[in-house]
Amino acid sequence: MTALFSSDDCYPSATSDLQAHTEHVLSERRAKPRTDKEPSLDKNNHIQFLARNLLQGFPSRYTSQDASQPWLSFWTLHSLSILQVSLDPGNKQKAIDTILTWQHPDGGFGGGPGQAAHLLPTYASVCALAISGRPGPGGGWDQIKRDKVYAFFMSLKQPDGSFLVAHHAEVDVRGIYCLLVTATLLNILTPELIAGTAEFLASCQTYEGGFASSSQPYFSATPDSETESAKALLDKPRPPLGEAHGGYTFCAVASLVLIQSFEGQESTRLPQINVRNLLRWLVQMQGTAAELGGFKGRTNKLVDGCYSWWVGGAFSLLSSLGLAPPHEHSGAEEGAESWDDVDDALFNREALQTYILMACQHHAGGLVDKPPKGPDAYHTMYCLAGLASAQHTLSPSASRKAEIRRAWKNTGTGGLSASTIPPSQSDIDDEFGDLRKNVFLETLSWHEETGTQCILGGAQNKVNATHPLFNLTVTHSEGIMGHFYRQTIPPVSIRMKQPE
Amino acid sequence: MTTTTTTDLYSDDPQWVDVTPIPQYDGINPVAPILYTDEYKDATDYFRGVLKSGEKSERVLELTERVIRMNPAHYTAWQYRYQTILALGTPLDEEITLMNDIAMDHLKTYQVWHHRRLILTQTKQAAQELAFLVKVLGLDNKNYHTWAYRQWILSHFSDDDLWRHELEFVDSMLRDDIRNNSAWHHRFFVLFEAGVRAGDEDREALARQEILYSKERISLAPNNASAWNYLRGVLDRSGTEYSSLAGFVEPYAGLPGPTASDADTIDTENPAPQPGARLPSVAALEFMADVYEKQGGERLADARKLWTSLAREHDTIRQKYWEYRSTAAGKL
Ligand SMILES: [Zn+2]
Repeated sequence: MTALFSSDDCYPSATSDLQAHTEHVLSERRAKPRTDKEPSLDKNNHIQFLARNLLQGFPSRYTSQDASQPWLSFWTLHSLSILQVSLDPGNKQKAIDTILTWQHPDGGFGGGPGQAAHLLPTYASVCALAISGRPGPGGGWDQIKRDKVYAFFMSLKQPDGSFLVAHHAEVDVRGIYCLLVTATLLNILTPELIAGTAEFLASCQTYEGGFASSSQPYFSATPDSETESAKALLDKPRPPLGEAHGGYTFCAVASLVLIQSFEGQESTRLPQINVRNLLRWLVQMQGTAAELGGFKGRTNKLVDGCYSWWVGGAFSLLSSLGLAPPHEHSGAEEGAESWDDVDDALFNREALQTYILMACQHHAGGLVDKPPKGPDAYHTMYCLAGLASAQHTLSPSASRKAEIRRAWKNTGTGGLSASTIPPSQSDIDDEFGDLRKNVFLETLSWHEETGTQCILGGAQNKVNATHPLFNLTVTHSEGIMGHFYRQTIPPVSIRMKQPE
Repeated sequence: MTTTTTTDLYSDDPQWVDVTPIPQYDGINPVAPILYTDEYKDATDYFRGVLKSGEKSERVLELTERVIRMNPAHYTAWQYRYQTILALGTPLDEEITLMNDIAMDHLKTYQVWHHRRLILTQTKQAAQELAFLVKVLGLDNKNYHTWAYRQWILSHFSDDDLWRHELEFVDSMLRDDIRNNSAWHHRFFVLFEAGVRAGDEDREALARQEILYSKERISLAPNNASAWNYLRGVLDRSGTEYSSLAGFVEPYAGLPGPTASDADTIDTENPAPQPGARLPSVAALEFMADVYEKQGGERLADARKLWTSLAREHDTIRQKYWEYRSTAAGKL
């Protein structure tokens, strides 16, 4: 039914020419394996690509990522986790020892040894430690200087609720996402840390519905006033800087859900965002059949494998922002096990898998943005995470939350030992006990109901699910959070999906 | 890119003998190492040495430039360069001239743009920036950092002289490429997000002007999502009912409009689709369904008819979404 080539309305421009070219390249990908065989995920090939990068190293063109060494490790380790591969103890130890060299003496992690602390490598380092580390001496987890991480975060805080990504560096919502995930995993969230942050994030939503990189604050006093503290932040104008973008949208939405998990859903302090426009924008990012159903990152741009996660992965967060579930199951067609019956997703899960499997796999291993580009560590991980989010649907589960709540033990300092309590919170720690319990229960109750998987190409293509907020496997999320909140997380009891 | 026949490593340079280079990984065998060139390894070893000693000097500016040219994402080198510039009192206009050169080569690097912003915050010499950015957008008309930086210049300095020609600039960008969403977003930023400028106080007139502008662009390319999104943005922001545009949108949705019988009348308020356009346009079907949904009652059936046609025929990739809209509408 759908035309192979999107029409340019006989009014071509550079954008429509490039679009037509891309659709042509993709159509060749679709035509090739016409052997009635379903597309397959070449797991062994990708694992070899990842193992080579991890153990032998990256070629010199990766010098451009020299300030992102924690990311190279995180992308590689997490890709292996998604592909259900774990490292042997010797290589795990090597990874832990490497990651700890990136920790800055004044708190946080840098992009490599001796580099300044920065929010992005801090997230990547802590997540890489969630995958490879363990408690105890030399295990990585207890060597993270959490009090200094907290002090570093506070030192980046801006009057409009945003954060610099590093000293003398820029503000953007990726940094805020990285900060919030790190603070959640390490159990160092405080109301002081996130004051005003939700309002900043909300101000980044554009008229299209997605989110921009940041926004510009205006204050009541004249711009050259010296006393920053005397100025009041104005509600308006507070313009977004840059257009709606997939990466920033995921980061902003996940950040809002994390803040809500901490402060509680009833909190009146949370600003309103337009969820209806957000949903509309997210679905508009999915390319047509002529684009094999991949996602793009901005209106009128090209599909790209990494948005499989940034945009595709954002759908599971919408229910937490108040979007009503797609449909109540009427139970009329009981027993029917067709794709439609188990698929509550608002995007086309099958088409996204088609794009990743047919357009993003490189014959030499690793995954790509789109053909004919070469593979890299970043696209390999975000394509695989996107594939995971298309195969699996994780949603907040009341029964899973109840299980974890029953097992909750009050541990006094909520997991912080006296020596690591940030100075600013030492005497009000009990007050945060409930908030921290909130965020623990809310973030770990994301759960995949039995029978909700949709795996294109059959069971051999199945990959591990990733946590919708952290982009770690559920096992790794539970492991590191259980440690820092001093909790034992009960195993999941088996349940079938109930018709409502 | 310069091709050097002789290696000029700091480790061979007598002027650097007083600095002790620091290797990156000492005593450990890291995972996922990068296999650097000798030049990069040499420069960053000396950079780590300088970081440790705290030296801030002219030769440190040269060293950070060398690191940055090999890896413009080295944010620590940028950070240290900035601190060195402040410590030395380096003329900031010279720094901007150097940055002009580096920016052109590394448009997609965050640090290039942020460093520029730090310098501009000091010099407040915003006047030349807009012309420079026109040049940069000529290389990549959708570069995210460039657009965000332009918006920062305009809103941070908020000087009427800076704003004066901004709408003409957006117009020229949209004439070059009617589908450039960055330019459409910039238009919205200029007219609706960044405060009210002199001459734009009549917000209703502004909304009318922009609705007409959108209609004219939609008539040229009815499947251009950027123009439809802009139109929706203007309607939402000005509180204009979508139904007031039904007469314009119906022909694009392949629906018989109220004035369809007067085919010969040229209606400048409601330009018709140009010949060659692919109709019905998905965006127009969606728009009309929104109109009917809002009207409610018996009109809901008309909305459902359109959502069904989108799900089954015109926009099948979003089948789930259109079905969701249909279900959700009944619950309102
Ligand atoms: Zn990409």
